[in-house]
Amino acid sequence: MTAKVIDGKAFAANVRAQVAAHVAKLKETHNIQPGLAVVLVGEDPASQVYVRNKHASTIEVGMASFEHRLPVDTSEADLLALVKSLNADPKVHGILVQLPLPAHLNSELIINTIDPAKDVDGFHISNVGLLGTGQKSMVPCTPLGCLMMLRDHHGKLAGLNAVVVGRSNIVGKPMAQLLLGDSCTVTIAHSRTKDLAAVCRGADILVAAVGRPEMLTGDYVKPGATVIDVGINRIERDGKAKLVGDVHYESAAAVAGAITPVPGGVGPMTIACLLANALTACCRANGLPEPEGLTA
Amino acid sequence: MTATLIDGKAIAARMRAETLIEAQALADAGWAPKLVSISVGDVAAAELYVRNQQKQAEAAGVGFESRNYPETISLEQLVGVLSGLNADPRVNGIIIQRPLPAHIPVKALQKAVHPLKDVEGMHPASIGNIVYNDLALGPCTAVAAVEILKTLPLRLEGLDVCVIGHSEIVGKPIAFLMMGLGATVTVCHHMTRQVAVHSRAADAVFVAVGKPGLVTGEMLKPGSALIDIGINRVEGKTVGDADFESCSKVAGWITPVPGGVGPVTVATLMKNAVLATRMQMDHYRSAFAAAV
Repeated sequence: MTAKVIDGKAFAANVRAQVAAHVAKLKETHNIQPGLAVVLVGEDPASQVYVRNKHASTIEVGMASFEHRLPVDTSEADLLALVKSLNADPKVHGILVQLPLPAHLNSELIINTIDPAKDVDGFHISNVGLLGTGQKSMVPCTPLGCLMMLRDHHGKLAGLNAVVVGRSNIVGKPMAQLLLGDSCTVTIAHSRTKDLAAVCRGADILVAAVGRPEMLTGDYVKPGATVIDVGINRIERDGKAKLVGDVHYESAAAVAGAITPVPGGVGPMTIACLLANALTACCRANGLPEPEGLTA
Repeated sequence: MTATLIDGKAIAARMRAETLIEAQALADAGWAPKLVSISVGDVAAAELYVRNQQKQAEAAGVGFESRNYPETISLEQLVGVLSGLNADPRVNGIIIQRPLPAHIPVKALQKAVHPLKDVEGMHPASIGNIVYNDLALGPCTAVAAVEILKTLPLRLEGLDVCVIGHSEIVGKPIAFLMMGLGATVTVCHHMTRQVAVHSRAADAVFVAVGKPGLVTGEMLKPGSALIDIGINRVEGKTVGDADFESCSKVAGWITPVPGGVGPVTVATLMKNAVLATRMQMDHYRSAFAAAV
């Protein structure tokens, strides 16, 4: 059997189109334009690419984009002051501070200074706790994207066995919470798990987020399972640089019922969900109903 | 085989003795720990519970003030009361007794407690810290259940753990606490297709559902640990969620109900009171000591 390939690019394009339609409607009916502020400190090349993409995508869906590029030696006090001014700015509905920050800045303090209602990354400690207690929160983008793809593929997730491999704060843990919220039976596996292959083979839904290239082979996959590969690893093969996931694609695709490729699977969903979060934050701030299908 | 009975009362007594020493040290530094309990309306149901907390607080060297507000109090007034307590340096922890009247949403009150005074570990920031492995102030019942497991001679890293029940105050925080300790955790609940498949694979099972007899011996792996968090009244008797008779024949360790998790939960509340007091003292000193 060969797995259905879940096309993340097409899915993300669809999410962005939905966001754009909501944004247009907000302007038309309420004269409100959602605004997303992105703060970049320093000149990390990867971060610069991300921030550029975020800016372009934000404009594309019709939102206001506020970019703040600060020099690498920006003081903590100055950065905190900027975050606080964005918290207070009614035109800004979402704030994203691009990580990693230079070493002299306390990321935890800065993230926790963002107004939780504007924390579109979902990293503020209150949002983590709200998600953990099943309350309305801002949900981290990557797991939110995975959840959307899973809901689309399965319809209802209730009662399915889900195994999340990896317990990171930005993917594994929130992913587990979201799957529990949709009433899956959830196992969180990680580097210390005994007989990981056997645990994974019990999964109807297998989410890989360990950061180890091609670690989960077909032997880890139950026939017909849905495999979501969050990993993005740069490896060298036959003298060429290549992007691969945490899942060994060929062998897993031979067993799975559906699978996300790398690249072109989960990756494109992250920015789409960031825009969805900014829209959600804007609707909540204005006391309007949340956009359907774009939140947890 | 017969399971070893886990003596929750003895564990609680040990914790209280440690807390008492800590509490006295804090009192000597001018920071005698003090809890304030808030209940609303006619609280016959909670009264026994509050009295027990008061007794345990005294035994642990923690001050305890019980306040009861009339049923007619508004949410805004109560939030005002909490703001006052948050600002009062003589108060180190706030307990919100349940049940509350229908017009007072408990989550709104929990959010209004300052995170440094959140001895019940119910503020979103406290739960968030647990998820992020910062285990300062955790929800008492979940922390107690995990503390009990820690007293057993089991290696927690890589331990297969099954949590039955995914409530926000017990099941989910247990899952995150255990995950932080390196266990592989599976969370089951009412939508799980075959709980037994998961529970039978587990070295340790936590059950917190509120259904007497939910877990039976045949659902357990021989020699595993069973931590029963349920408290149910059946024919005038207090029982847990496990069928004690059959489970105690299969498990290696089992908590009784009553006398298992219950006493450790109250002891954890007192431990949290002392932790919270120390955190407040450190916070105060780091914020103001320079000026002295």
